[in-house]
Amino acid sequence: MSDQTLPAQKPRGAESPLRRIIAEFFESRTAAVGLVIFALVAFVALFAPWISPQNPYDLSQLDIMDGTLPPGSESFTIGTYWLGTDVQGRDMLSAIMYGLRMSLIVAGTATLLALAIGIATGTAAAYFGGWVDTLIMRIVDMQLSFPAILIALILLAILGKGVDKVIIALVIVQWAYYARTVRGNALVERQRDYISAAQCLSLGHGRVMFRHLLPNCMPPLIVVATVQIAQAIALEATLSFLGVGVPVTEPSLGLLIANGYSYLLSGRYWISFFPGIALLITIVAINLVGDQLRDVLNPRLRK
Amino acid sequence: MSINRSIRGALMPATFAVFAAMSASAAADTLTIGLSAEPTSADPHYHNLGPNNALAKHIFSALIEQDAQQLLAPGLAETWEPLDDTTWEIGLREGVSFSNGDPFTARDVVYTVCRIPTVPDAPSPFTLYTNAIAGMEIVDDHTIRITTDGPAPLLPNHLSTFTIISASASGAEDEVAFDAEGCSGLGDTPESQAFTDPDFAIGTGPYVLSSFVRGDRIVLERNPDYWGEEGAWEEIVLRPITNPGARVAALLAGDVDMIENPPTQDIERIESSGFKVSSGLSNRVIYIALDQGEAPTPGISGDANPLQDAKVREALAKAINREAIRDRIMLGYSEPAGELLPPPMFGTNADREAIPFDEAAARELLAEAGYEDGFQITLGTPNDRYINDGQIAQAVAQMWSRIGVQTDVDAKTFSAFISDRNGFAFSAFLAGWGAGTGEMSSPLGALVATRNPDAGLGGTNFARHSNSQMDDLLIEALQTVDEEAREALLQEASRVVMDSYGIIPIHYELTTWAMRDDLDYEARADQYTLAYEVVPAN
Repeated sequence: MSDQTLPAQKPRGAESPLRRIIAEFFESRTAAVGLVIFALVAFVALFAPWISPQNPYDLSQLDIMDGTLPPGSESFTIGTYWLGTDVQGRDMLSAIMYGLRMSLIVAGTATLLALAIGIATGTAAAYFGGWVDTLIMRIVDMQLSFPAILIALILLAILGKGVDKVIIALVIVQWAYYARTVRGNALVERQRDYISAAQCLSLGHGRVMFRHLLPNCMPPLIVVATVQIAQAIALEATLSFLGVGVPVTEPSLGLLIANGYSYLLSGRYWISFFPGIALLITIVAINLVGDQLRDVLNPRLRK
Repeated sequence: MSINRSIRGALMPATFAVFAAMSASAAADTLTIGLSAEPTSADPHYHNLGPNNALAKHIFSALIEQDAQQLLAPGLAETWEPLDDTTWEIGLREGVSFSNGDPFTARDVVYTVCRIPTVPDAPSPFTLYTNAIAGMEIVDDHTIRITTDGPAPLLPNHLSTFTIISASASGAEDEVAFDAEGCSGLGDTPESQAFTDPDFAIGTGPYVLSSFVRGDRIVLERNPDYWGEEGAWEEIVLRPITNPGARVAALLAGDVDMIENPPTQDIERIESSGFKVSSGLSNRVIYIALDQGEAPTPGISGDANPLQDAKVREALAKAINREAIRDRIMLGYSEPAGELLPPPMFGTNADREAIPFDEAAARELLAEAGYEDGFQITLGTPNDRYINDGQIAQAVAQMWSRIGVQTDVDAKTFSAFISDRNGFAFSAFLAGWGAGTGEMSSPLGALVATRNPDAGLGGTNFARHSNSQMDDLLIEALQTVDEEAREALLQEASRVVMDSYGIIPIHYELTTWAMRDDLDYEARADQYTLAYEVVPAN
């Protein structure tokens, strides 16, 4: 956050706002734990191809003769299957690492894209007002009145399968949240003197919107984005679980859980259980971080 | 006292002895079965679909019955003899009456054949099996002569596929006369919906319809005047429970006495909980079809279509480890296949073994065909139609990848898969075929005969395989009335296709039923669940 856009806050203290946020963030031990866990998950996801014992997406590395082995079984090729294997002989540990990677990439990309679209439309709606505002906000209202999973299912039924299609579906489902958040904040900020001042200087619309208005709307957006990224991960997992998401040969966490679902009754719990735990940990960690960020960034809760 | 209630009683240990005594007597009363799919109608001629046909056989009877191995057996007809190449004489059983008391006569048979083409909006009509009939002559009340345009050796098989309804109860006039262009004396033919009404569903079957509540249950009661052996149960309740997990849970909880198609991975659990599993070879083969029609082909990059080369097809066939699929994915409930119909069914080659797994030979064949470095291919598959279909496709992809053919799997829900397949969108796809007639001309005619809609051949040949030698043999077989000569022709036709790897069979499905251990059911090749053939175990 650059100083030039926050002239009113400058005299408050010598330390920069960023430092204050970091300091306040770590006041909560749970949030700190959440952040550490999330960093670990992100590390595993990022470096999965180098640290996983097997490439579960390379079919020629799999052997169905190693299928549905319980955790701790020995294999001839990659040592021990610490978390067991699924019916195709995929090492569950590797599959979870790659699944996390797939889930985070899909959710992360979708969130960034949705954020961009939401910011552009939301700021435009607030800044221009009038029919632009009405049009954009009615579309947002319409979309928010349907459950996200329903919209995503319809979209994927039309678009077909594939990682790119899932990302498109998630973006379309989520941009409305950001648009609404940005608009609400921008409407308040627009009344402030510094915007009038900028407009008096005949600065272009784009410059006023994105250099002056937007940076002051960021804090609530960051909070919404952290909540939404967890939502996106869960939504992607749901879609894959329902069989409309990622390809079967490149399972994400949701698909791994779905694969093991039919084996639960027969006692082969590990196929669903471990990916489920991984999904749970990831989402909880992100939510812990998001909650604390919300508290820290909310001016009303500021000490 | 229903079985359900008595099982709940067993929760109290003190009443256990009482319960055991009661359940023995209750067992003769009601049998409840969890179906894996609900019949789409109670009309026996509406939809040629397993669940519908199985339900129809409870309420109605066919002229000719199929036994558990699909061999023909007398039903409402006691005899069927060819008088010459195009005339058959059918002798009907005497002394049979419908559940409303009317006697069964030749008029009902003619009416049924006439009614079949009139069923409105039938999604899969039985006209497939009545088309060959060119004339029907009522000789007397219990003798019919059927003439056909050409030789129709499969007529008895076709007559075994549909059941006979009552002409009088359906509103026919006293004189019903057959005419291939349009029968006379039919009156107003009934709508399919009408058969849901127990007063309208009048048949000669072992049971009569008591109620049909869509999505919930179908209740049947014993027909005291049935012409054959009396069913063991006073009442039969068929409950559609389409979710496999819920079906198993219903069995384990004692809500139902028997279920269809328990998931293979749950069978161990079911058996260890004191239930019994009955399984048998079905008439359904799971196969992979390889597009041999055009180059380029959609799922393979490049201008060539390697699948047109028999060596490549042989390589792909030999790269599949069928035993591994049986052991690891089907958990023993399949039989590796070398043809399109399991022996000893009609027209199979008993000496033909499953295609052997030979990775080295497969690599060599690929190299000989000029594909040392393999190629990329997409394998289409449904993921909710056949037993473990999506998993089988992934295993095949694994095995093909290992010989250098990089394989992607495109798994879809069945309806989406069908529309893609019928649009020739796949270079390779996995599917299944159940031989309704129980003999070899069914899979050969549908899956590998050269596409010829006018002749009714190659209807499901979406791989566009074409082999004139096989076509000639098949067409000759379809016109040969002599059983032995026909079987020899079909065996030869099957051999020709398999030798050129025109289609790659994987395995025959085993159909399974799970039930209380005091029940017995002989597994049927046609996969029908016939409640009246469920008997208390000795």
